[in-house]
Amino acid sequence: MSIGFVKNWTLVAGALLLGMGCHSTAQAAAHASGENLMRAYCSGCHQEHAGGLERISAIRKTPEGWIMTLVRMRQVHGLVLGEEVRDSIVRYLADTQGLAPAESAAGRFALERRPNAKDVDLGPDIGVMCGRCHSLARVSLQRRDADEWRKLAATHVGQWTSIEYSASGRDRPWWQIASGPQPDKLGSMFPFSSTAWRDWQARPARDLSGAWVVVGRVPGGKDFYGTARIDREAGGDYQAHYKLADIAGFEFAGDSKAIVYTGYEWRGSAQVGDRALREVYAVSEDGNRITGRWFDADHAEEGGEWIAIRETGPAEVLAVFPQSLRAGSTATVTLVGNGLGAAAASPLSFGAATVATHVQREAHRIRALVKVAPDAAPGLRTVSAGGALGRLVVYTQIDQIDVVPGYAIARVGGGRIDPVTAQFEAIASTRLPGGELLGLGPVEAEWTTSAFDAEAKRTEDEKFAGHFDKRGRFLPSPAGPNPAREFSGDNVGNLTVLAHAPDGKHTVEGRGHLVVTVQRWITPPIY
Amino acid sequence: MSLVRSLGARPACVAIALSLGLLCNAAAARPLAAAGDLLVTGAKPDRLFVIDAATRTVRAEHRVAGANGQIFTIVISPDQRIAYLLVDRMERILGIDLASGREVFRADLSASDERVKDFFALTVTPDGRELVVYELPTQLKPSEYIVEEPRFAVYRTDAGLAAKPVRSYPAPRRVHLMLMRPNGLSFYAVGFDLYEYDVKTGKLLGTRGIQKWALADHSQPDLLAFWPVTEPTGVFTSPVYSEIKKSDGNVPMTALMSLNLKSGALSYADFEPLSALIFSTVLSPDKKHAYGVYTTLTSIDVEGHRLEKRVPLDHTFYAVNVASDGREIYIGGANCDVGFYDASSLEKRAILKLPGCSDQTLSTLRVIHDR
Repeated sequence: MSIGFVKNWTLVAGALLLGMGCHSTAQAAAHASGENLMRAYCSGCHQEHAGGLERISAIRKTPEGWIMTLVRMRQVHGLVLGEEVRDSIVRYLADTQGLAPAESAAGRFALERRPNAKDVDLGPDIGVMCGRCHSLARVSLQRRDADEWRKLAATHVGQWTSIEYSASGRDRPWWQIASGPQPDKLGSMFPFSSTAWRDWQARPARDLSGAWVVVGRVPGGKDFYGTARIDREAGGDYQAHYKLADIAGFEFAGDSKAIVYTGYEWRGSAQVGDRALREVYAVSEDGNRITGRWFDADHAEEGGEWIAIRETGPAEVLAVFPQSLRAGSTATVTLVGNGLGAAAASPLSFGAATVATHVQREAHRIRALVKVAPDAAPGLRTVSAGGALGRLVVYTQIDQIDVVPGYAIARVGGGRIDPVTAQFEAIASTRLPGGELLGLGPVEAEWTTSAFDAEAKRTEDEKFAGHFDKRGRFLPSPAGPNPAREFSGDNVGNLTVLAHAPDGKHTVEGRGHLVVTVQRWITPPIY
Repeated sequence: MSLVRSLGARPACVAIALSLGLLCNAAAARPLAAAGDLLVTGAKPDRLFVIDAATRTVRAEHRVAGANGQIFTIVISPDQRIAYLLVDRMERILGIDLASGREVFRADLSASDERVKDFFALTVTPDGRELVVYELPTQLKPSEYIVEEPRFAVYRTDAGLAAKPVRSYPAPRRVHLMLMRPNGLSFYAVGFDLYEYDVKTGKLLGTRGIQKWALADHSQPDLLAFWPVTEPTGVFTSPVYSEIKKSDGNVPMTALMSLNLKSGALSYADFEPLSALIFSTVLSPDKKHAYGVYTTLTSIDVEGHRLEKRVPLDHTFYAVNVASDGREIYIGGANCDVGFYDASSLEKRAILKLPGCSDQTLSTLRVIHDR
């Protein structure tokens, strides 16, 4: 599968845009077409049984899960499908045999391709049986009854002989467990039928057309905000047009084409500025909020949060840039949201001991020069604009830097497999007189590494594994045997990450842990 | 041996190459400098090499049609003429004449409705007439796989290129190594435990502990040896990992497993607290030393149960073997290097780079000992 899988998947996502809709009349037509195509192309092997097709009708999955199924059918069983056929089948299956939002919630980080996320905990048994190769999110993003989970175990043995011999497989009667109690347990944890899915299927479809206010995070870079115009196409898919600006004021635009699977799974392919991006978002049940993660089309580890709310929604501050101001300083503060008060006389306050001047108001953005009194008491301020409330922190000193993520993985790369970078942020906190730590948000820092332990020092990991750029992104070294290293070892490393953030005349140090390891050769949409 | 040596002359090689479409390395043109060991190893995607240890030269490079990517286990026939190769993603056994490269035996384990994998384990009877193969079958139904019970399947080696098993009998799951006993009446199968089976009837003759070993205060051991290297001693050895329980915590230990195929004597003995991983081992001709390999080359005092010496290697090597006279250690597996090391000092004497520098990966490194 490797990188080809990702590219195939990207191709699938792009090609899906040409397919049919999933709402009302268009949705019904698409479903009829998708169902017919599924029967035409799948029933040769998956025979009709009890009104469905063997195996297929006993499984529910995410859109990515169904895409992976069809890719596997091609790779292992030689199923050749035209793109439009494949896309129609995926759309039909994701819509009719998908997961309700409550069911996909725990594993969303995997769909969103979040790096260094903490996996779901399914207990030690499943943790070993499934988690030694897969994320447990992947397990949690499927629904089958016990018998179907049991068949999945058989597929594993037939397809991957080494499963009974590899570590954490050979130390136990693997097949007896995998074919015995394990499927029963999985079937009770993740059954095919659920109230959540029945309820979700019964809810009305939401039309996402309209004007939206958006905020995006860029870890290690400049966050951005702006507006989105979402248009629904005749077939039911969407086009989004973005007008954005980063927090330094640089304006840029973008466009996205998106499919909404299962009534809430927004999957977009966007061109924003000069970057090709992927959007994995979820639409809220009321259809008024879209949240998730955008990421680089070729480097899923590089991306950030996304939140969009309808312009017509209630007053709400989506973001305050920056999140904190030092006492005695003057800085431009930007508020983004709904109902901020466009009129000049609208109330605007940044809290005690602050003065706002040079106020610029737009429909969904206020920019002001905010001066904080030198003797301002450190603490949390409530920002009020129109009818919306936000928060801002005033501080006198940085007391703590947390390196986030505290533990991260980067991967060497080159050739067939690109390197995987690791993005860190220095998150500052101040300690209030009462001892409470209050977060200040990300701050600039100088990034370096040191050996994590004596063994890493002995093998000079710091010298070989890679280096930081100025924005806190670790760039791993090329992959492959390195004759300059002991045993011609790869450029892996076990490193302490050091962030030194200036605070007046001092610097405050934060520490994290970075493991630079080998390539991931199999890179499906869900690990 | 004479057949192999016939490759020593360029005309012979050219003639065979022309008639059978074989590849011949330039080194094969050199006359054999001295009697000695020949090494046999495989490399991606379909290469079988015969190497003259004395001259550090490739004597034959055979292209193995049907290897389909990789050669796994190599078992040498008792007359040392045929190499039986597990290939094609573990679904095919080929017999290759070492001298000519000609395919003399083929057993396709899988059928259209049944996928059969052999996880490394196969062995040949001392008379060379039968191959016993471990088979993990999966029934391929149109929309699902049915996991079937493993079996030992017996093939006649004279069955040609469409060999079918002449008999088969039930086997336990998770077997990864088979070792024929020299009397030809029974063989060992290594998996969860050490099993002994009757070659003719398939009757289970005995079970001795691997996972259920009886070393006091030790955790369940971990052993995954899959190369049936017993030359030159007739004794199989393997590293075994476990933890010894002590009052202040568990200590990882490395033991040496030793199985004498003739006598049946089986022993385990810790020789060091785990300080370096060892992938595979071989026993010296005098049975006093075992040599282990991975990122280091290790010499183990077998009788004293202690680590004798350890040196770092240039890179990872999986496979190890030893010279007939015990003076040299041969290492291979992973990458395209075959190394020659002094058995006493563990110093590197030579590295032979295989033609094309193709990766040996998990091919067995066998030694044909000159007679």
